[in-house]
Amino acid sequence: MLGEALADTVLSARARSRPARVALIGNPNTGKTTTFNRLCGSRAKTSNFPGTTTSTRLGRAELTSSRAVEVLDLPGVYELHIEAPESLIARAVLEGDGAFRRPDAAIVVVDACNLTRNLVLVGELLHYDVPLVVGLNMVDLAQRRGLTVDVNVLSRRLGVPVVPMIARRAEGVDALRMALLRALDFPRAKRPADLPAGTSSPEALTAWADELLTEAAGASAPNGSGPDSFTEGLDRAFTNPILGLVTFFAVMGGLFWALFTLATLPMDLIEATFAYFGQLAVTYLPAGPLRDLLTDGIISGIAGTIVFLPQICLLFFFISLLEDTGYLARAAFVMDRVLHRFGLPGQAFVPLLTSHACALPGIMSARLIPNRRDRLATIMVAPFMSCSARLPVYVLLTSLLFAGQPGWAGLAFACCYLLGGAAALLSALLFGRTVLKGGARPMVLELPTYKMPSFTNALVTARDQGIAFLRTAGTVIMAICIVMWWLSAYPRVDTPESVRTLRAEADQPELSVGRVAELRARADTLEARAVQAGSFAGRIGRTIQPAFEPLGYDWQLTVGVLTSFLAREVFVSTMSVFVGGAADAEVNVGVIDRIRTMRRDDGRLVFTPATAASTLVFFVLAMQCLPTLAVTHKETGALKYPILQLLYMSGLAYVSALIVYQSLRAMGWS
Amino acid sequence: MASTPKTPICLCDLAVGATARFHAADLDPEFSRFLRSVGLTQTSELRLCRNGDPCIVQVRATRIGMSKAVAGQVYVVPTSGT
Ligand SMILES: Nc1nc2c(ncn2[C@@H]2O[C@H](COP(=O)(O)OP(=O)(O)OP(=O)(O)O)[C@@H](O)[C@H]2O)c(=O)[nH]1
Repeated sequence: MLGEALADTVLSARARSRPARVALIGNPNTGKTTTFNRLCGSRAKTSNFPGTTTSTRLGRAELTSSRAVEVLDLPGVYELHIEAPESLIARAVLEGDGAFRRPDAAIVVVDACNLTRNLVLVGELLHYDVPLVVGLNMVDLAQRRGLTVDVNVLSRRLGVPVVPMIARRAEGVDALRMALLRALDFPRAKRPADLPAGTSSPEALTAWADELLTEAAGASAPNGSGPDSFTEGLDRAFTNPILGLVTFFAVMGGLFWALFTLATLPMDLIEATFAYFGQLAVTYLPAGPLRDLLTDGIISGIAGTIVFLPQICLLFFFISLLEDTGYLARAAFVMDRVLHRFGLPGQAFVPLLTSHACALPGIMSARLIPNRRDRLATIMVAPFMSCSARLPVYVLLTSLLFAGQPGWAGLAFACCYLLGGAAALLSALLFGRTVLKGGARPMVLELPTYKMPSFTNALVTARDQGIAFLRTAGTVIMAICIVMWWLSAYPRVDTPESVRTLRAEADQPELSVGRVAELRARADTLEARAVQAGSFAGRIGRTIQPAFEPLGYDWQLTVGVLTSFLAREVFVSTMSVFVGGAADAEVNVGVIDRIRTMRRDDGRLVFTPATAASTLVFFVLAMQCLPTLAVTHKETGALKYPILQLLYMSGLAYVSALIVYQSLRAMGWS
Repeated sequence: MASTPKTPICLCDLAVGATARFHAADLDPEFSRFLRSVGLTQTSELRLCRNGDPCIVQVRATRIGMSKAVAGQVYVVPTSGT
């Protein structure tokens, strides 16, 4: 009966003329991803399981030159019959529930060094009407530990093919393909007679698995849980309160150093390439709205998205390496001691540290956190960390605040980072008492054995994450860039009289080349300033300025704050435009000095110590990054989280800046 | 062996290196399920590898790390070396 059902499945799969589908399943850390990459090469499509944020990969594996199958990589599961999200997904896939297409066969990857536990999952899988192939992985490690498993015995007892593999070195993968082919064409459907019933307890299954192991591994079967001095030693060091912390900071310091140094070159290249395209458009297209849309809207929009790519790919590359070594699980415990007090899980350190580079990869890396509440708490507070886009703003404002006192400016700079970090932790605490009730879950994790990481896996992960970022967040970010550009460039204002006069002057034939360039540049900046002031953003700035009056901002500063929603560093160029500088200004002494002397409409200075400090606090705390909101939306799968993030962070920024401004003013610092 | 106590004690009170059998856990079902699924069942022997925060136990070839809050709610019956 069962045989017929299976044959039907196979036949109908063929009849549909779609390639057969194979599910890849196994305990966490058994080498599923490695096996998947070996089977499918780099041709895989990453997506989310319908209705979940758990991602999966679907690849195509050539079994023979004329026969290919689809391979679906399932998340790691310990057991099928528990209510963990991964188990629910695995069950739904195996049963062909709802959105899932029932697989025609399944490969279960098992860790030869940890057979009892892995065989429990095999035992559960044998109850499904899906032809099964067991990939007995990590036999190299097993051999090193003196464990030899008789594959024939195991295969006979399980009633399914068992293929020994070293997936890391691609050994046994061809045999796995052949076994899969046979399983698809000639499904065997005899369950082992002594297999405990589907409803039996894990204890019964464990006893069955233990018995199997003794039979298959004979005298080499590990008895009990003897110490492994290498692992013990490393664990002791890595989880030690002091040594563990030192190691942690060394590893993370190295990671960020590498991230920043390695990302700089590709980021510069990307910017240069798009600047070149923009230049091409300027050269070959007639001036007008179309050219502006292309150069300032679309090209800078794409550049503004792709420029994040090197950091995202590199980060995921390094995280994948670190995760593979087994170190991350230990580091999570070290950080859990600190973070737990604030309602964040130990694993939150990766997103929080990464957000110092950029909140986008930071939020994406929160996927490492298994519990949804903990993940949400982390995502909500990650953007408080001072990202690299805030850096030029900090430089500008701290220099304005402490002119000629670099020591104090440096201290203020460091305080910004501390303020961001403190705001993140305290906000996590607050969220834990309100919208995300309950503290972080106490941590229980399997500590995987230490292994050499796989370079290929890391490359594939980096590429997949990069593509996922471009596909989803990328389009949104580009749209945002175009809209923001439009708001700050339209409606077009007539060229001011002064600009026309300057240009006419520059056209005089007797002038020197240098003088002509100078006049033209002055005309361009004056025009840019007029455009800025007359644009929608400028008008909105003037309209809502009263709301920012209590913070000490005039309309120009308000426009600066508004335009920095595109990207925070835009603040510097907006301010620079107001004082007649170039729009692509770097923060240098000249620009800072000009901005220092910037005047309000009534002739008073824009930046007094009180306004500079209040603006600084605002930038540390405010959510001024639409791309981050787009990624938060995507990663949380709900609109309410980015909205809450925006309102909460900006509200906190407003109130804090208000307190700072009013206190300093009361002390006579305005 | 004869002198080993048979009454359950807290995992935190076990000596490092000692072995024991899992008895019960006064934890959320989510945690109890996890512990069971990584092999911490009443029939399997565990060894305490590190006490404190985190506490590390080994069951067969699986090493499990748990924060003190969790370990404090896990009860075991020592089988050797307390
Ligand atoms: N020595 C050895 N290491 C292996 C072998 N197969 C995989 N690994 C390593 O084991 C680690 C985990 O491999 P993955 O492929 O990421 O395991 P996974 O089952 O996909 O893990 P999750 O996705 O976290 O569940 C990596 O460091 C691999 O390089 C093998 O046959 N021998």
